[in-house]
Amino acid sequence: MRADCEAQVIEAVRAARADRTPVEIVAGGTRRSVGRPMLNENGQALAQLDVSGLSGIRKYEPEELIVTAGPATPLAEIVGTLAARNQRLGFDPADWSRLLGSNGVATLGGALSADASGSGRLRHGSARDSLLGFHAVNGLGEVFRGGSRVVKNVTGFDLPKLMCGAFGTLAVLTEVTFRVYPRPTHSVTLCLKDIDAANGLAALRSIAHSALEPAGLAYLPAGWLPDIGQGAALIRLEGAPQPLEEKVTMAHGLLGHAHAARVEDGIDLFARIGSGALFADIEGDIWRLQVAPADAPRVANDLNAPRWLGDWAGGAIWLAAPPADAARIRSIAAAAKGQAMLLRAAPRQRASLGLFAPQPPVLADLTRRVKAAFDPLSLFNPNRF
Amino acid sequence: MLLPPTDRSILARRDAIVAALKAIVPDGVVADPSGLATFDADALSAYHQMPLVCVLPSTRDEVGAILKYAEAEGIPIVPRGAGTSLSGGALPREDGILIGMGRMKRILEIDYENGCVVVEPGVTNMNITRAVEAQGFYYAPDPSSQIACTIGGNVAENSGGLHCLKYGLTTNNLLGVTMVLPGGETVTLGGKSGAQGGLDLLGLVTGSEGLLGVVVEVIVKILRKAPVTRTLMASFDTVPAAGRCVAQIIAGGVVPAAMEFMDRPAAEAIEAFNQPGYPAGAEAILIIDVDGVEADVSHNMGRVIQIVADCGGRTVEATDEKQRARIWSGRKAAFAAMGRIAPDMICMDGTIPRHALPQVLEEMAGLSEKYGLGFCNVFHAGDGNLHPLILFDVMKEGEFERAEAFGADILRLCVKVGGVLTGEHGVGIEKRDLMTDMFSEADLEQQHRVKCAFDSGGLFNPGKVFPTLSVCIEQGHIHAHGGKLPHPHLPRY
Repeated sequence: MRADCEAQVIEAVRAARADRTPVEIVAGGTRRSVGRPMLNENGQALAQLDVSGLSGIRKYEPEELIVTAGPATPLAEIVGTLAARNQRLGFDPADWSRLLGSNGVATLGGALSADASGSGRLRHGSARDSLLGFHAVNGLGEVFRGGSRVVKNVTGFDLPKLMCGAFGTLAVLTEVTFRVYPRPTHSVTLCLKDIDAANGLAALRSIAHSALEPAGLAYLPAGWLPDIGQGAALIRLEGAPQPLEEKVTMAHGLLGHAHAARVEDGIDLFARIGSGALFADIEGDIWRLQVAPADAPRVANDLNAPRWLGDWAGGAIWLAAPPADAARIRSIAAAAKGQAMLLRAAPRQRASLGLFAPQPPVLADLTRRVKAAFDPLSLFNPNRF
Repeated sequence: MLLPPTDRSILARRDAIVAALKAIVPDGVVADPSGLATFDADALSAYHQMPLVCVLPSTRDEVGAILKYAEAEGIPIVPRGAGTSLSGGALPREDGILIGMGRMKRILEIDYENGCVVVEPGVTNMNITRAVEAQGFYYAPDPSSQIACTIGGNVAENSGGLHCLKYGLTTNNLLGVTMVLPGGETVTLGGKSGAQGGLDLLGLVTGSEGLLGVVVEVIVKILRKAPVTRTLMASFDTVPAAGRCVAQIIAGGVVPAAMEFMDRPAAEAIEAFNQPGYPAGAEAILIIDVDGVEADVSHNMGRVIQIVADCGGRTVEATDEKQRARIWSGRKAAFAAMGRIAPDMICMDGTIPRHALPQVLEEMAGLSEKYGLGFCNVFHAGDGNLHPLILFDVMKEGEFERAEAFGADILRLCVKVGGVLTGEHGVGIEKRDLMTDMFSEADLEQQHRVKCAFDSGGLFNPGKVFPTLSVCIEQGHIHAHGGKLPHPHLPRY
């Protein structure tokens, strides 16, 4: 089933509703393997609702720092258009396609629906902090809008937040409006080498809690890069050339004047960190844990994973692990009051574990009621998480 | 203003309800008329209503027990923080329990390593900053009522402030909340990690204006105070020039910490009030804060000054803290200054796309003539959040009604140019009946179904935010006469 415009989405949803046949919402298709496989009652793959035609930038107002676009617009198109005006997406969208082995085209709607933010999230927040408004078709086959086209808005419920990270389980997005940010002219990535996880992550936190407004803070243990000894603390700073040099000096001061060398390909390196692409060729299940940053060294130690890294100054821990480790990983995350997201695994593993750990019963019930408020027949991406 | 009809059967059970609440919170039930009078309005003082009873819990278990009881008995609940809402969000109901959260005001944990603070909802916004400022940290959202307003109220209203241009609203500075749902069960959304492992219900709950539950614990991010803040005042001969300047600063890649606009009537009234040194004759004045590390601030301030000059503006940069404070003292006294030129005023709160400013100002001037009422404009220019101040005299027959109609037309104008009804004050009862100007029936039904997912009985803050068909309640118009607003000690800007 294809739907190339809002009217066709309505038609498709009404048909699905009439037949009570759930659909899988697909545009670029890069994130299809995230979450529980979407199957019908007989265990068969669902019919797809292909919305890849809902593409294209509809309104871009550089002076307002606002863009309205079809949700299926490729991320690359948005990024390129913004770059031409020295602007960028604030949430540093994470394209998971290399990690997930997808040949698809990562779209804006996919990144928003997965709340997929890269290393730059430190600076301007995640996808949910950038989405201002949307139009969508709910499970009743009705168009509704949430939010607005302005940055500062408290009129009615903040439904855009809810759409981010919902993985298409609430409604079919037909248009999205989001804020964008000025793109700094220069950036520098510093690399503090041969530092262990506890000290490396502590160094990153000291930068995070400074006024330097870092755009990336990641710790890579030995093995990810050549010649980094025990591990490397990576610090990305941005700005105009002269202030940037002063910030580099300040960063060195915060690091106790330890020498942090400049990395040439820092932007690319952080893109591979934030998107999980570094794990693309590594065997095993791929997890992303979110924890309180100061807990990261202990959590990493408990996880004891051969391949891991810490992004967001430790707030995000990526790791590869054998499937048998799943329960242990979830329990470590729970003990740290964090969340462990199973980002890549075989279908059977994803079906049994879900994207996130089961919620406490009261919260799970509330979540089901909220889902039903949009999609009472569970037509959209059922059971995905 | 129409509100859902009072349930007379609840009034008839009042003694039993008071007794039941006293069993839950023995020393925290206000039932006498003089005590209740304290709670009969929030800062939208035109509307007031005595609650059936007010209860002041001290623990989350008490909150749970109250909500469980209220649901079992079918009694409406109105949550209240400090009562500083400007949109009537905490207006009580005659047949409802007002649940005041002011006693839950402990700071539970300060966690510098994770850059967050765990607090109870009754802690004031300012007290969070006070608790961490010795270590060089602060809590960024800074609504003008910050010395009094509570963090629970900030969550309910998704409060902003002068500095949200750069640092975001409450929603962008929250990591987690624990809330008691209608019926008394408790959920925790998010935490120090910020992760929720499911739908972003934290984002949904923030700004839900007391319609979805009662927050009993809040985790907020704290930030390192910027080492340097510099303040610039820019004056312009025309409003469009000032508007162009704002657009060019933003588009030029500078994100000021704050960027405030005042039109000539506002600036003149303020200058007469407390002499902050605003230049005479300017049609528009901008006050711009740039903060950060010294190197960035110097660079960005240099660019701002250049852009102002290119737009034909004149600049005065504060050379020390004293002058900074003086420049800001005028802007922060805007509301009080209006008391000098009119006995009463109402403050509107729409947001518009920045480019629409000249058009909106021109159309507002037309409305001013139509309604025969003066107005002036202060404006969080960086994010397009307008605060038109409508001037009137409540003692003059019909002026309050005309002022309200004028205000409603301004908000409709904001929506017409692509903006919204409220940027930071909330819908409450004040803008409730304008929701249909911004949202379609399907939009509102969708929001209402979300409300029902939390509150199937419709007991939480009934009559707020969503337009409903109902009968009229008795209400008088208390006026902010002679500058005597509720919470007279609070600055409002």
